[in-house]
Amino acid sequence: MLVWFVYDIVEDRPRRKIGDKAIELGLQRVQKSVFLGNVEETTADELLLYSEELINPDEDSVYMFPMCQEDFKKIEILGEAFNKAMANDELKTMFL
Amino acid sequence: MQLVINTYGSYLHRDKGCFELKSDGEKTKVSTKKVDSILITTGASISTDAIKLALDNNIEIQFLDQHGRSVGKVWHSKLGSTTYIRRRQLEITETEEGTELVKEWILRKIDNCIEHLNDLGLRRSEEKKDYVNDLVQEIKDLKNKLKRTTGMIDEVRNSLMGYEGNIGRKYFAGLSYLIPERYEFSGRSFRPAEDEFNSLLNYGYGVLYSKVEKACIIAGLDPYVGILHTDDYNKKSFVFDVIEPYRHHIDRIVMKLFSRKKVRKSYFDEIHGGVTLNEEGKKLLIKNLNEYFDKRIRYDGRDIKINDSIQYDLHKIANRLIEK
Repeated sequence: MLVWFVYDIVEDRPRRKIGDKAIELGLQRVQKSVFLGNVEETTADELLLYSEELINPDEDSVYMFPMCQEDFKKIEILGEAFNKAMANDELKTMFL
Repeated sequence: MQLVINTYGSYLHRDKGCFELKSDGEKTKVSTKKVDSILITTGASISTDAIKLALDNNIEIQFLDQHGRSVGKVWHSKLGSTTYIRRRQLEITETEEGTELVKEWILRKIDNCIEHLNDLGLRRSEEKKDYVNDLVQEIKDLKNKLKRTTGMIDEVRNSLMGYEGNIGRKYFAGLSYLIPERYEFSGRSFRPAEDEFNSLLNYGYGVLYSKVEKACIIAGLDPYVGILHTDDYNKKSFVFDVIEPYRHHIDRIVMKLFSRKKVRKSYFDEIHGGVTLNEEGKKLLIKNLNEYFDKRIRYDGRDIKINDSIQYDLHKIANRLIEK
């Protein structure tokens, strides 16, 4: 499932922890508080549950937007681009 | 995704639940959820925590030498299945059933070779089509002789291997005839490869060996107990037996690289007596290999990755052994 994970979190500690968790679960950071990745549905749930525990519901917000493949193809990007193939699990080999 | 560490001096370590790789002063984080295997083709360092993280997530770490052969791998030390399969594997080598099993693999290999030659013959000049048709006919004649060979493996080993060898030589002569003239080669050569074609093929087969060996272990089959290939010190005889139907995958990848003019002289280094694939060349081959093995094919009415078809086949072999 292709998802966008977006947040606005006031406190540093929960923001950092949630960002680390998103990367650990296989999402790619595409902007400071925007993540994108093709993950299992259970993985997406895991990230939401983890975030729920840490955020302050009165001032923070966390969104998860699923996106279909068809719409992903229509994405327009200006400026510094993220790796589309990587975010969509199309990259089969990564050389480092 | 396969993580290939091919930058000399890279450092792989663990950062919380992620792998982090440092090379040339750059840091890259990679989630364990995205990695199926780690391939190390050059001098690098790994922390013990990174190794443990890989093992916990069922990710194998593999070391390749300059010819693409697996020097060793770090993997959990489980058997994968029941030892009963290995017991039966030993028993079957003493029966005609063993011969039949081996014949099945060789026949599948031959069919795959024929199919590859026919695919290559499509959209070629009449002259080349005729050549391919004649060659396929010769191979089919040998195949029929092989089919009729029966008996205990010790009695028929030499004739089976003889037919297989003859077919192999014809097949490679065909491949040599069909690749661009500049890259024509005279038969197979190893350690070192005498030409670019053999160099790519040897590296590809090296990677295939470790794929097949891994699939054997997961299915509970002993890589060292062969039927057609005899016992020898540290010889993975069963892997040699069972790899045959899959070699054509590598042949197809390599032939395609040549016909699409992707192969450059600069991908090879001259060594004494031949050529060897360098970092750039390995990169090209590994990338194409992973893309190829990720493609889906029809298998028993389902769509599965070519990579997984090897595993399914070996599970079938293991099940057949313990059914009776």
